[in-house]
Amino acid sequence: MVNPIYIFILALGAGFLLTLFDKAGRKVSLTIFYAVLAAMVAISAQWLIALLGGSETAMIFTAGFKPPFSINLQMGLEEAIFTLAVNMLGLLSGLYLIKKFNATKVNAMVLFLMMIMGINGLIMTRDMFNLFVFMEITSIATFAMIGIDRDIKTLSAGFKYMIASGIASVLFLIGTIYLYRFSGMLHIDSMAVALDMASSQATLLAVFILLMAIVIELKPFPANGWALDVYEAVDSGVVAVIAAGSSAGMLFALYKITPLLNETLLLTVAGIGITTFVASNLMGLMQKNAKRLLGYSSIGQIGLVAGVFAMLVYLGYPINGKMVMLIAGGLFINHFVAKAGLFWLAGILNKENTEDWGALRKKPIYLFAFGAFILALVGLPPFPSFFAKWQMVMIFAKDNQFLVIAFILLGTLLEAVYLFRWLGKILESEVKEKIKVSFAQGLPVIVATLAVLGLGIYSATIVPGAGSLNIFYLPLLLIAALFVLDFLPVWVKNTLVILLMGFYTWQLLPGLEGYRFLFGVIFLVGGVILLIPGYAFKGKRVGFYPFAVMMYTGLAGLLIAENTLQFFTAWELMTLGSYFLIIRGKKAKPHALSYMLFSLGGAYAMLSGLGLFFSVNGNNLDLALLSSITESTSIIYILLVIGFLTKLASMGLHIWLPGAHGEAETDVSPMVSAILLKAGMFGLVVVMSAIQNPMIGNVSINYVLSWLGAITVFGGNLMAIYQEDAKRLLAYSSVGNLGYVLFGLTLMTHLGWLTSITYALNHFLFKALLFLAIGGVVWRVKTKNMYEMGGLIKRMPISFISVLIGIIALSGVPPLSGFAGKWLTYNVLIEKGWVLQGVVLIIGGLIAFLYCFRLIHTIFLGQLKDNHRKVKEAPLPILIPQVIFMFAIMFFSAYPNMVLRPVGDFLIKYFPQGAINWQNGVAFTAFGHWDGLGVLMITGVVFMAVFGWLLLTNRKTQKVGQFNIVYAAERPSRPELTHVGYNFFAHYRKALGVLSKPYAEKFWDGLSELFHSTADFIRKLYTGNGQTYLVHIIVFILVVYAFAMGG
Amino acid sequence: MVKKIFIVIILGFFAVMLLPLAKDFTPFQELSPVAEKYVEDGPEELGSANLVTSVIVTYRGLDTLGEVAVLFIAAAGVGFFLRKEEKGDKTPKRGSSQILQSGTAFLFPLILAFGVYIFLHGHLTPGGGFQGGVVIASGMVLLLLSSASAKINENVLHLVESLSGASYVAIGILGLVLATGFLDNRFLDLGEFGTLLSAGAIPLIYSFIGLKVGAELVGIVNNMQKDQS
Amino acid sequence: MTLITILGLVLIMIGLWGMLTQKNIIKIIIGFSIMDTGVHLIMVSIGYLKDRTAPIIDSAVDQANAVNTVVDPIPSALVLTAIVIGLAVTALMLSYAIKLYEKKGTLDINEFKELKW
Repeated sequence: MVNPIYIFILALGAGFLLTLFDKAGRKVSLTIFYAVLAAMVAISAQWLIALLGGSETAMIFTAGFKPPFSINLQMGLEEAIFTLAVNMLGLLSGLYLIKKFNATKVNAMVLFLMMIMGINGLIMTRDMFNLFVFMEITSIATFAMIGIDRDIKTLSAGFKYMIASGIASVLFLIGTIYLYRFSGMLHIDSMAVALDMASSQATLLAVFILLMAIVIELKPFPANGWALDVYEAVDSGVVAVIAAGSSAGMLFALYKITPLLNETLLLTVAGIGITTFVASNLMGLMQKNAKRLLGYSSIGQIGLVAGVFAMLVYLGYPINGKMVMLIAGGLFINHFVAKAGLFWLAGILNKENTEDWGALRKKPIYLFAFGAFILALVGLPPFPSFFAKWQMVMIFAKDNQFLVIAFILLGTLLEAVYLFRWLGKILESEVKEKIKVSFAQGLPVIVATLAVLGLGIYSATIVPGAGSLNIFYLPLLLIAALFVLDFLPVWVKNTLVILLMGFYTWQLLPGLEGYRFLFGVIFLVGGVILLIPGYAFKGKRVGFYPFAVMMYTGLAGLLIAENTLQFFTAWELMTLGSYFLIIRGKKAKPHALSYMLFSLGGAYAMLSGLGLFFSVNGNNLDLALLSSITESTSIIYILLVIGFLTKLASMGLHIWLPGAHGEAETDVSPMVSAILLKAGMFGLVVVMSAIQNPMIGNVSINYVLSWLGAITVFGGNLMAIYQEDAKRLLAYSSVGNLGYVLFGLTLMTHLGWLTSITYALNHFLFKALLFLAIGGVVWRVKTKNMYEMGGLIKRMPISFISVLIGIIALSGVPPLSGFAGKWLTYNVLIEKGWVLQGVVLIIGGLIAFLYCFRLIHTIFLGQLKDNHRKVKEAPLPILIPQVIFMFAIMFFSAYPNMVLRPVGDFLIKYFPQGAINWQNGVAFTAFGHWDGLGVLMITGVVFMAVFGWLLLTNRKTQKVGQFNIVYAAERPSRPELTHVGYNFFAHYRKALGVLSKPYAEKFWDGLSELFHSTADFIRKLYTGNGQTYLVHIIVFILVVYAFAMGG
Repeated sequence: MVKKIFIVIILGFFAVMLLPLAKDFTPFQELSPVAEKYVEDGPEELGSANLVTSVIVTYRGLDTLGEVAVLFIAAAGVGFFLRKEEKGDKTPKRGSSQILQSGTAFLFPLILAFGVYIFLHGHLTPGGGFQGGVVIASGMVLLLLSSASAKINENVLHLVESLSGASYVAIGILGLVLATGFLDNRFLDLGEFGTLLSAGAIPLIYSFIGLKVGAELVGIVNNMQKDQS
Repeated sequence: MTLITILGLVLIMIGLWGMLTQKNIIKIIIGFSIMDTGVHLIMVSIGYLKDRTAPIIDSAVDQANAVNTVVDPIPSALVLTAIVIGLAVTALMLSYAIKLYEKKGTLDINEFKELKW
């Protein structure tokens, strides 16, 4: 095996001689340069392989003396991983810079080699003073390398960097020499043994000063203005090495001196790191400059890694143990790869403003890379940070560090805000120009993308509970295949996905029991049916199928999840997939963002809840234990329920829904509305069936939730009536509908659950039907505003019948299935005696009539618009599922016992009392009975009688021409006003006044504004003046000193 | 003014923070364990009379290689940083005084010889490669100052710098291959203690360091003055 | 030898004062150098032992009793490295100053605030 010291020998030797070789031609020097970088990669790779294969950690004694008498280097697993990462980064960034290397003096290559060598030294050396030497090699090479561009911005940024780094090195020297004085050696490991921390104030102070030197280099808030300037100004290829590589070296230095730190200092580092993480991401909210934004994110991530690492050590996890590797290592490598990739991309695009990155859309591969990096930074599956974050929350929860968890999740959420905003901006921008990507600049980005994916998969195999993640392997393989096959035409992919998903459903469904089976039908059978409209699309529909499958994978995963890790992974996959489906809509970008943020916020609440659950059930991931926990039950319950309620869009958490569902594509709207919302409900069912009747003090949480449900019904329906946009109307209506579901569940009785679950099935049917029908209409008439439609009954009769059946089912009037729900609801209300909620529900139900009426009246009745005289019926692929759903509704209405009975049967397991009695398809409760088929037939007879009578008596009616306005009383000032359906319920808005105001939007807008203005206020700290930054550093040290050492 | 008061205050606090370093600290009464070993065994092990040299060149040889690298980086960095952007018009330099010119003519060879002496005797007397290199560079700087037309041949400079650096690394490898570790000086005969040709490879290493440091410092000064012309 | 240590601390403070209050970049660099020198003094003072001589075995120092007669050679070795590194940093700072001056015609650090927030 090659002695790792050859990494230094090669780099130095080549560095010294490169000037000479350059005389023989630039090709010669470039070849040698890359050969050396490649050799460095090879050496560390070879060691990594050997060490993974069980070799022992290698110690390299220079000069032939054992430490502490001479400097020694170490090549263990951690060193091998870090050096391999850094050397790969060096090779790729070197390749990335090839054009610049060609154009400038040979010195650039020399300096670059020295920079990479310096980082290797930071990682491998075990001697305190040698650490300093390598720190300086890295810094000085970086200072010089910054000069690859010499514009005024780069120069002033570099100078500020030098001042800050100068202070750090002075502190490092003072610390080192005193530690030598107190311990008698410079070998770090012996020093830690020899040092008696308690011996004097000066010993502790020396450690503190040394620590501060390293901390300053890690860019703590607020002593990091210089770093931001560097990230913003310096060439992308160089800054990738600074952001990823140098930080790696400094983090490793921190890792090495950790044995010297006492508990207080460890906590101090944890505090600094996490504060930096939150503060940086907060300030990132206001940033528009792409590279500076990446800088904020980098600083935050480094803070996170350092903070989490220190926290883990503080909690007693062994410094080179598996947990530290998995969590801190996972977070680090994730940041390392993603950030390098993003900086490279920044250089390729060469656009300062984050809003000008739209050119990426022309390059699907790089757009994919960008997306992957963003998702990795936010910590979504299947990236390493997802598993690291998961495990971190479990571990910290186990040790009751909930404040830490809260701050970290807050910081992550803030980061998600600006990263997803950025992604959304790219996806919505108009592409004007093309970018050219050279091979040398493209390859590094592609390698980074593959690396981050590969590392994610690797993390998935080492996280505790990893074995259970195998349920996702096949679907994820399919998703990957779909990404590759994305060049195929849409019908091929659609058929393929329908077949595979159909097969999967067929395999999976029979194995599901109880409510899981019912949700399986909704998620998967519904999913397959809703893929049929896909045939209506032309072209390739790039990026649709991978994410659709991802969403269904998540949904299926929820059904079969047996432990919390599976459940949470499935949950996040579902969120991710649906986000990318929603964002496809033309105007859906801002709504997709708020969908993602609410989902993440909810997911983090859920994650905290799962962490707490993990800690109280004896560190077990098994989901089934949820019913047997005795501690912190209420808090776990609340946290999990908050997570599910964001998906369920309950009042207050609903503001993402109308836009997201309303603006989505024709077939995506029914998917997310009819199917996806049920995921929230599924979660509620899981939790509520396990934890029954949790209390806070004397208050039953479910009682509070029942009010939330009732208000949601009322509010959702009320807002629906004011919508001019047909799809938004349906979206608001979903908010209200899901309010019923929530309400039903909170009753915690047999009938309540039966109602809720059947209502959910019902909602699935009619909302899918309505969204498809309306979507089909919109498909043809190219507008969603109802006042621009009218009289479409003649042009689109099937859609009309769909909507008619849909609204009858929705509004809950006989004879269709909705009535069954209502009837049961009132039974339950009487049973439970919750009269007030009942009143609200009844009013809410009445309001539903208003918008249902409007939907059919404004679109299909009245007069046909001139420009719609030739519209055709919706495309066949959109009609077919409608017919299926119509039949399903009719069947369910005629034979409600087919569903209600089996559901009732398994509910007996949870609620043995109050079940329905069935006699030949007729339901009997304590308060009456209901015969679905009978009602259907009676209503049918009555309908036919009235219909016939009307036909008979109206034969002689006089028809009025379309433009006969003889009966009109006012002159329309705006085009909309010519339509009777415009602002149809304005009078209700006036009458209901205070109830109609959008309080929730105002609250969330205000919160967002508060965050943004705070961010803007704090970032004013960074004045741009190098001296001010120096003051920050000194004040920072003093403040930390006051905290850590008690003054 | 307010700003200055503020700075006085924070520096005051900073000083108070650092004060224990001077106050709570009793000087060594005897050598540290590591130093004790160096002083006891150093002369026999490495054969160098100057113990600081044996620490610098051998015991902590990697530091010194790093140190050479730092200086090398600085030289390369300054050269890179001050590379010509575009051909500017040169303002003619003012000639130097007669005293400086005559003095240089007389002193230059002496300074050079002194520098060489210092690095050759690094293992015997105070001094060594760095010190010798600096002295040599000071002679060259004197030359640059004294004559407006004096130009350093950069090719020679690079050659000296590159070859001496590479030779240093090569000697390090010889230590790894022929003796016990990278930069081990004992692959050459230790010779008779206290003479010029003793201490194994130390004089060799120090000579290369001396040449390299000299060449690099000259390079730095040359680049800076070139840029200003 | 606490006196030298204190002197070193004083130099560090003077250097910092210069770096924080002087507007001229060259003066800031001088401040940095002073601070660096202060650190070097402290380092040397750490290795010093009272009434002892330089760690060179020659006619003045008996090899057998050297352990009790010479000062610590390690800080001397370290300080050499530190000085060289300080020199390297200073050289680069100065070339930055040259370039900054070329670009803006001024060395006032308050003039270089292109990047902020």
